[in-house]
This record gives sequence, C-alpha cells and structure tokens, in this order.
Amino acid sequence: MTSPSFGELLWAVARDVNRTVGGGYAAMELLRRTFVKRGWLDAPGNALINAVSRLTPGTNVLAYCVALGWRVRGAGGALAALIGGSVPGSLVIAMLTATVAQIDQYRSVRVALAIGSAIAVVLVFSAAWHLLRPYWSRPGRARAAVIMAITGLLLSLDVTPVRTLLVAAVAGTLILKPE
Amino acid sequence: MNTLLVYALLLKATVTSFAGLGSLPQIQRDFVETYQVMSAEQLSQAVLIGRSTPGPVGAYVVAVGYLAGGWPGAVAGWLALITPALAAIPLLLMVQRWMHLQHMRAAVDAIVLASAVLLVATAVRLTIDAAQQLVRVFTQA
Repeated sequence: MTSPSFGELLWAVARDVNRTVGGGYAAMELLRRTFVKRGWLDAPGNALINAVSRLTPGTNVLAYCVALGWRVRGAGGALAALIGGSVPGSLVIAMLTATVAQIDQYRSVRVALAIGSAIAVVLVFSAAWHLLRPYWSRPGRARAAVIMAITGLLLSLDVTPVRTLLVAAVAGTLILKPE
Repeated sequence: MNTLLVYALLLKATVTSFAGLGSLPQIQRDFVETYQVMSAEQLSQAVLIGRSTPGPVGAYVVAVGYLAGGWPGAVAGWLALITPALAAIPLLLMVQRWMHLQHMRAAVDAIVLASAVLLVATAVRLTIDAAQQLVRVFTQA
C-alpha cells in the first residue's frame, strides 16, 4: 500500500465527489475505484471506512472522505479530504442561491440531470456489489444471508437506517464467525 | 438571522440525521415554522439547488444558510455540513482498536452486509426517480 501526497488526495477527492449528482453513494464508489486502483486503499479498508461512515451522523459521503483521508494520510489527510469533498460543491450552491438561478428551467440542464441520475444508479448498485462480493466467496454465506434478511425485514418495517445497522451489528456478533 | 443561531440550528438538523435529506424535517420546523426566516417555497428551492449540483445532496444546508443569513449564513451552513463528519475519526479509531476482537470483526462484517442491503434499497429508489426524470424530460420535449 502506498500513500498519496496531500495534493493528490485533495484532487482525487474533489474530482470524485464533485462529478456525481443524485447522492453520495455514487461518489463513494468512484472514490473506492480511484483509491484501490492507485494502491492507496484495499477492499477490507474500504469496507471498514464504509461501515464507519454509515454510523457517523450527517452526510455519509463526507464521513467517508474524513475516514478515508485519516486512513491514508492521518489528520492532515482527513482535513484535505473534507475540504476537497465539501468546498467546491458548497461554493457552487452558495453562488447559485445568491443569483437565485432557476437552473431547472433549461431543458438541456434537465436532460443532463436525468442522465446523471441514471449513471448514479449504476454506481450505487456497483458499490453494493463490491461490499457483498467478499462475503459471497467465502464460507459462512448462509450466515451472511441471515444478516441481510434481518436488514431487509427491518427496512420493510420502516426502521431507521442507524437502528437497522445497530441491530445488524448485534445480530452479527451472535451469528457471524469472521475469518 | 444571527449567524451563530443559523449554525446552531443547522448543526442540530445535520447531527441528528444520517442521510442527505434526513435533516429536512428539522430544518423546515426551525427555519420555516418557528423562526419564519424563509418560506416553504424557498426551502424547496434550496433542496432543488442542492440536488441539482454535483457533490453531497446534504450540501443544500449551505443554500438554507445563505437564505437565512447571507454569505455568513452560507459559511455557517458549510460548517454545519462538515462538523458531524469529523465524528468519523473517533469512530474509526475505536473500531480499528478493537478489530482484533472476534465480536468487533463480526459486528463490522454485519454492518457492511447491512449497508450493502441499504444501498440496494437506495439504488432501487434512485432507479425509480431516474426513470421518472427521464420520462418527464422526454415527454415534455
């Protein structure tokens, strides 16, 4: 595993977080691809950061950025990733609000947003698959399926995501046998 | 509206939510109903701008901050957006410290599995949204 420089980290996070619309999960998948491809992060590291970001209050993708930055470059990395992940988008939003732009009145903008949303869907499915795949290729698949079934049940009962994750964690300590 | 109050109210909303637009009900209650510093229409516009621009959906709180307190309000909104994310550091340290325990590894595995299921559910909702968006765009041509 290698570590990025602060500049590389800032640029990678700013680019990946700010080139998706429709939610942070697509951005998290882009970050995973970039960081794994460059040897800055491995699959278990990504799974850990993903789990932590889901349990952190607020915007998941920013928690993911902070945990990612911390893991690869410590406190400075967390700060760089947080700035890269939040400043560009926030600036655009503040400027648009200041000009009270009616951005959705242009058809080309609506088309671009619709296509962006469709791409985000693919990325979110891909993120889910990359989290599930390691558990599907090792013993204990049935136990993993039980955890997934419990999650699905809680989801159908409209239980909040955080409570769902906490119940899954407790169930995991009782059912799962990690490698 | 006082910038510190904007920050405090937005932080209350972001720190008690666990998803991009999860803070919306609290913001509506505080900014539209209690303090009446913006209309419901303005709040909808802030959400629209947040959803239409690249980056986290939760960044719409920057627009809310701007509408409530101008540029200082926008900065307060940005600070309220990033503050909860810092909690990821102690959480990560805690999990890493106890990762040698079998129960902790099992709990993390379970959270990862549950996260994947939640992601699939999100993706299904996004699929429906994206399909509706595409239909609207191409039928209004």
